[in-house]
Amino acid sequence: MGADHRAFLDATLPHLDVVYQVARRAAGDGQDPEDLVQETYLRAYAAFGSWRGGSARAWLAAICLNAARSQARRRHRRPWEVPIRVPLDALPMARAGRDQDTADVADVVIAGLDAQAVARCLAQLPEPQRMCIVLMDVAGYTASETAQVLGCPRGTVLARVHRGRRRLAQLLAEAGVSHGQP
Amino acid sequence: MDSHDRLLGAFLAGELNPADARRWDEHLLECEPCWLAVREDRAGRKAAQLLRQPAPPGLADRVSFAVELAAAGTIAQQLARHRMRLGWRWLAGAGSVAAAVAAAVALLLPGGRQTASMPAAVAAVARYAESIPPAHGQGPGPGGSAAPVEEGHPVTVTAGGQRIVLRTWRLGRVEAVVAVSAEPFGMPADALGMAGPGMAWTARLGSIGLYCRNGHASELVAAPVPQAELASLVARLPPA
Repeated sequence: MGADHRAFLDATLPHLDVVYQVARRAAGDGQDPEDLVQETYLRAYAAFGSWRGGSARAWLAAICLNAARSQARRRHRRPWEVPIRVPLDALPMARAGRDQDTADVADVVIAGLDAQAVARCLAQLPEPQRMCIVLMDVAGYTASETAQVLGCPRGTVLARVHRGRRRLAQLLAEAGVSHGQP
Repeated sequence: MDSHDRLLGAFLAGELNPADARRWDEHLLECEPCWLAVREDRAGRKAAQLLRQPAPPGLADRVSFAVELAAAGTIAQQLARHRMRLGWRWLAGAGSVAAAVAAAVALLLPGGRQTASMPAAVAAVARYAESIPPAHGQGPGPGGSAAPVEEGHPVTVTAGGQRIVLRTWRLGRVEAVVAVSAEPFGMPADALGMAGPGMAWTARLGSIGLYCRNGHASELVAAPVPQAELASLVARLPPA
């Protein structure tokens, strides 16, 4: 088994960046995303002998999500939640958008956003939508890989990510302006 | 989901054939709800993409090292189990409880490396120091006066449940690993206590000399130098 660790690292390290994207959003409060990545790789290494091939990064993402849930259970906290709810009015982009009553959703969302504002709005989405967005839009997984990670049909993933993106855009826009006409 | 929704989904996924895509473009010009759905979808996707952030530079090293440690641990456990099986057969014949205890401890020492009396965190630091290739070229040895130069990135690992940050410093021809942890490093059974502030000790694991200061933050220096040269080398390292 020891000789396998080189093969394991060759197969999985190229996906470190996408696993890190998933870990950053999956880590619960008080959880260090880098610790979660390390835990993911150690779990994956332990299971490498039984891995049947396919998308290594989808396999790693599934392990990462399971590890996050396990750690959250141990800590009696739920992952995928931002515990402190900051009023949307407090967001910089919300204040910046007040004068743009006629701006449309896309313009408001894209202009003046910072990652922290997006993260807070993303945290308000239902978990299934949030997970699809994290996997597809943040980490860059395909719809098929996301379906594999979450164990649901690809069509379900596409529907969830679409609903989630729209809701995310609306939350960001509502924070900035009353909903204008496109 | 009706055919309209399916078309919208296929369009957003970029899966419409050219003919359907043309028809859909015409439809978008007339259908306000679909146009809004497309714009919101794109806006949401672009916003989410703002959350992308590259992995920290040292993370690959950290993960590789953790996996290498796990691989080494697996081999050690396999060796220990194998020796235990042989040992218990012999002990069954001997029938001595004292011998059983002594032999069980000895059997847990595969190759004399990671031992029952050597805390996992200390063994991990020593193994990391051992894995660094010897420095080449001219320059003063451990007794010289070369200023320390940091090599590579800090690496964070967890060993025996203890979180450790490892940094590597080159002093002339010698490379020393400085491990820092919020928890004290356990003292190996054969370590020697040292006089000075806080709990300090030195020990040796193979070719690696270990020097530990357990104070406000615990610091463990590991370097392939004779025991007598450890203290002077430690004194030349920058404060952790």
